[in-house]
Amino acid sequence: MTLIETVPGPARRALRAPGVRMACLALLVAAVACADLFAGRGVTPEGVREVLLGGGDPTAEHIVLQLRLPRLLVALVAGACLGVAGLVLQSALRNPLAGPEVTGVTPGAVLGAVAATGLGLAGWESPTAVVVAACLGGFAGAGLLWLLAGREAGDPEQTAVYGVLVSAVLAGLTAVVLLVAPGELGSVVQWLIGSTEGRVWQHWNLLWPWAAFWGAAAWLLAGPLTLLRCGDEQASAAGLATGRGRGAALVCAVALTAGAVSAVGALGFVGLLVPHLALAVFGADLRITLPGAALLGATVVCGADAAAQLLSRLLATALEADRLTLPVGALTTFVGAGLLMAVARRRADER
Amino acid sequence: MAEGLTGRVKPSPAEAAGPEAEPGARPGPEVVRAEGLAFGYPGRMVLRGVDLSVRAGELVALIGLNGCGKSTFLKLAAGLLTPSGGRVLLDGDDVTRLPRRTAARRVALLHQSAPTVPGLTVRQLVRQGRYAARGPLGMLREGDDEVTSRALADVGVAAWADRPVDALSGGERQRVRLAMALAQDARVLFLDEPTTYLDLRHQLEVLQTVVRLRAERRLTVVMVLHDLNHAARFADRIVALREGRVAADGPPAEVVTRRLLAEVLGVEGRVGIDSEGGWPVCYPDHPLDPLQLLRNENHIH
Repeated sequence: MTLIETVPGPARRALRAPGVRMACLALLVAAVACADLFAGRGVTPEGVREVLLGGGDPTAEHIVLQLRLPRLLVALVAGACLGVAGLVLQSALRNPLAGPEVTGVTPGAVLGAVAATGLGLAGWESPTAVVVAACLGGFAGAGLLWLLAGREAGDPEQTAVYGVLVSAVLAGLTAVVLLVAPGELGSVVQWLIGSTEGRVWQHWNLLWPWAAFWGAAAWLLAGPLTLLRCGDEQASAAGLATGRGRGAALVCAVALTAGAVSAVGALGFVGLLVPHLALAVFGADLRITLPGAALLGATVVCGADAAAQLLSRLLATALEADRLTLPVGALTTFVGAGLLMAVARRRADER
Repeated sequence: MAEGLTGRVKPSPAEAAGPEAEPGARPGPEVVRAEGLAFGYPGRMVLRGVDLSVRAGELVALIGLNGCGKSTFLKLAAGLLTPSGGRVLLDGDDVTRLPRRTAARRVALLHQSAPTVPGLTVRQLVRQGRYAARGPLGMLREGDDEVTSRALADVGVAAWADRPVDALSGGERQRVRLAMALAQDARVLFLDEPTTYLDLRHQLEVLQTVVRLRAERRLTVVMVLHDLNHAARFADRIVALREGRVAADGPPAEVVTRRLLAEVLGVEGRVGIDSEGGWPVCYPDHPLDPLQLLRNENHIH
């Protein structure tokens, strides 16, 4: 039962072609991107339009071209990274509850980034060091889970439990680092929740090659990943060296997650839930579903960013608090928690 | 020769591949050879030195009690496990030395059961069997779709190629998994209890498909069967395993005896001959009690 079956009439027939679905989704991405561009404070929608048409005053131009545009692009690519990373993880571990957030990858990456910042090795000014630190942390988190789960790695519920444990431990360590070295507390907290505030072209320049490389690598693994979803026995009988395939997939997932975390912080639930959406929309052929997950992740994060900015503006006027901003991570966590409950309930019903 | 082969698989009962119908005087080259094959987990030996040679075109049934090492033998022979002693040669090459992909091009193994993948359609699953034949990055190659379609048609599931696998019944699913193994296009096919969980009708359907394909595609088939009557009827050679060793090996007419029932399967029973097909038929009566089993064991050693 896919989402497509719920669409009535002749539209369903057209939607059966993956190309049509992909095009619809691309339109949706464009729509939320526009919304994100127009949603923020400081410049009115008319001002944004003027800048985009080549006019407008210098302040508006600076805000739109130097602040909003890179922020939008970073949100899109980070969302795509998280969506793909989640799908790769869930396929490689054959676990619908695996996501970068609950397998220790995201908390590890956050710990890496925070620790590097606390030690003065990195900061928002030196994003390369943050990416490296986040990668190391992500691998450490995933490795910790691997050690703990060991032979039971095939059991989704068991792995999820260990994943929550690992995540809690890593989050605790992050808190310790924050307490010991509270220097840059303000900017560091953004990593914990996930925020697209203040992302500039420098972030974009670092993020997109990283995302493009690892995204392409993940797509090339579509064949092995589809086989891994069929179970190890069947996969190895069909000729896949399962250990090596899974290892390569995990490297891709961690690298994509670390890239996203170093750019926007730990956006809750995106990597966990976007894969479910992607599989429901695009089916089980990962050659199509992986790009689909990228587009869906971009849509979700960018849409959440637009909604967060809109809400911030409304709340700011309602509460007369000028500096109030709602981080996008808070929004994705709220919506994601609700969706996760729906997924868990459906799984329980299927038993 | 192809005509003769296809002619033989018409479903007339007298002609179904019983021992008499087999062209036994046509021994092909040796394709699978196990030499002193041993395997065990700490504290429990599963196989204790199995020597077995399978020639091209043979249809061999492996029988034995639960835990006697039948499935383990197939996994070792397909290179999915590493033996603790001895070796398996596939076309003369040690299977543990072959890259996984090369081994999968030579031998396809249908596991006893497999988890279902939500949302995967029949065609998508069967196409997974093409993995070994593809390039190193798993991209689809010319001819993949052709082989996939042929495999779908071979087991008669082409009509539901676009249905999700998890919506199928057990019997249908088993045929789809057989198609996936066939899509590997290997000349040797290992089947681990292909009829488990199936009703009688579907059991016969799967077994007759195997017999037909074996003739049409000139496959070598080794399958684990629990039903001795199926083994006696469809296989041209029966290999009985008992406690990790080969206890009997030969054509059904020679192997299927009261002694086999007692010593390998642990049941008291009678053996007759099918009046139409001429293959042995056994009528198991009751399980032997442990004391008698013990006596039989002494008798063997």
